[in-house]
Amino acid sequence: MLIRSPKAWELPESAITPENLYHLTKRRDFLRALGVTGFALAARDVLAATAGFPTKVNPAYRDPALKPTAYEHITSYNNFYEFGTDKAEPKVNANKGWQTDPWTVEIAGLVRNPFKIEANDLVMKMGGAEQRVYRLRCVEAWSMVVPWDGFELSKLIALADPKAEAKYVKFTTFVDRKNAPGQRAGNLDYPYVEGLRLDEAMNELSFIATGIYGKPIPNQNGVPLRLVVPWKYGFKSIKSIVKIELTDKQPKNTWQVLQSAEYGFFANVNPAVDHPRWTQASERVIGGGLGGRQKTLMFNGYEKQVAALYAGMDLRKNY
Amino acid sequence: MLILEKLLRSKVVVWTLLVVPGLWPLWPIFIREDASVTADPLKYVLHHLGFVACILLATVLSFSPLRVLWPKWGVVQALNRHRRLVGVAVFVYAALHLATHLVFEGGLELAAVPTTLKTAVGKPFQLTGLFAFTILLVLAATSSNAAIKLLGGKVWKNIHRIVYLAAGLAVYHQAAARKLFPMQVVWIFAPLVILEIARVWKQRRAKA
Repeated sequence: MLIRSPKAWELPESAITPENLYHLTKRRDFLRALGVTGFALAARDVLAATAGFPTKVNPAYRDPALKPTAYEHITSYNNFYEFGTDKAEPKVNANKGWQTDPWTVEIAGLVRNPFKIEANDLVMKMGGAEQRVYRLRCVEAWSMVVPWDGFELSKLIALADPKAEAKYVKFTTFVDRKNAPGQRAGNLDYPYVEGLRLDEAMNELSFIATGIYGKPIPNQNGVPLRLVVPWKYGFKSIKSIVKIELTDKQPKNTWQVLQSAEYGFFANVNPAVDHPRWTQASERVIGGGLGGRQKTLMFNGYEKQVAALYAGMDLRKNY
Repeated sequence: MLILEKLLRSKVVVWTLLVVPGLWPLWPIFIREDASVTADPLKYVLHHLGFVACILLATVLSFSPLRVLWPKWGVVQALNRHRRLVGVAVFVYAALHLATHLVFEGGLELAAVPTTLKTAVGKPFQLTGLFAFTILLVLAATSSNAAIKLLGGKVWKNIHRIVYLAAGLAVYHQAAARKLFPMQVVWIFAPLVILEIARVWKQRRAKA
């Protein structure tokens, strides 16, 4: 039997905002839908214990045409190889005693202001969390739409104050062989490493997620700080970050080291450049049932925001 | 052992063993409603059908080395009565796996099929699967008594030896299906390799 003590922010199921209420935008609608005003206020009190929650929807990043994937699917269909290679494994294995609270992250490297900070303190320092709805496209040709809560990565990097020679940002995740069976088995080289060019990291879309659907991010989705770069394949969005380092050399990301013919540094979503083993022209929509395939969009639909970053580059070579 | 032998002689038992794995996906999709499966049910069905085809292929190929190694064992004799049936079942699962792939990638429109096949031909991972399926198709098509008569026992037997090529392709195809090497390939096919080595060793010793 599994005995675990609840964390400060853990809510009873009854206090969690159901998905149908999530889609209501006006506070009045929300209260009316709940029916009991007192209950709603009580829920707010509990939420206030967690840094940055409840979050405000940022309308600039909430395309009404995007229909968010069900919370149950987002949190049950995970690639988090530290906890197993099957989609169902992280939900089980990441919730068996892996300690994630408190969580310290270090900002280091070519910066004038290096610092170490606890995850909750960081969120408060970033001015709290906001909600953005982003597409997520996995290199395995499936996709979701996720309402992420968190803050813009550029704010954090600006706080660290990069030196002029800083050109890249290297992200490193945790090592805990005792609690992460995938690390024990050595299915990849750990710790997992990802990287961005500094201008990519400073793009308005680059985001550090601390929550999903207005709730603290579940362990299996990359608690408590997880990168989200929605125009790149999902493996770039490194989970459970412990170190962010500014460098002058291009970091070697884990999947590129393992299989450079299949996974590159940039990993931009590109329907015109196939994976050697499957097509990237289209994608399976998670929760789409037995049908559910749609065309993949260039830069996953974020061409307007990011295309300029790659002007003049051969995207066939720089996959 | 006698009970096992009796059970394995029964056609009803063998048919059940062959059909039930095909119905298995109904359980996580509709009854348990496992979210990691309902996220993309077709992908689960696709992988499951390929998985069953591989297991049955390794199983049916193990029958003849088992017979050489333990000719008097009743269980082995019982299994060898069903070689053709299990072989055809491998083809059926492979065909369902391919059909699922066509829907998985192209949807329910028939017009998408040529595009999906064209993509498959350009990728070694998919092409090996397609090639293995073509071999199984030829073998299934020539599995009737009439076909054996028409071709003559010796020719028929030689044609059907290409099933080993299909097995080799299946091993590659299954190993390439995941981002990391899946250990299931080893536990499905390694016993067969060991049995085949033992068979060759025994046959050589008998000749000497």
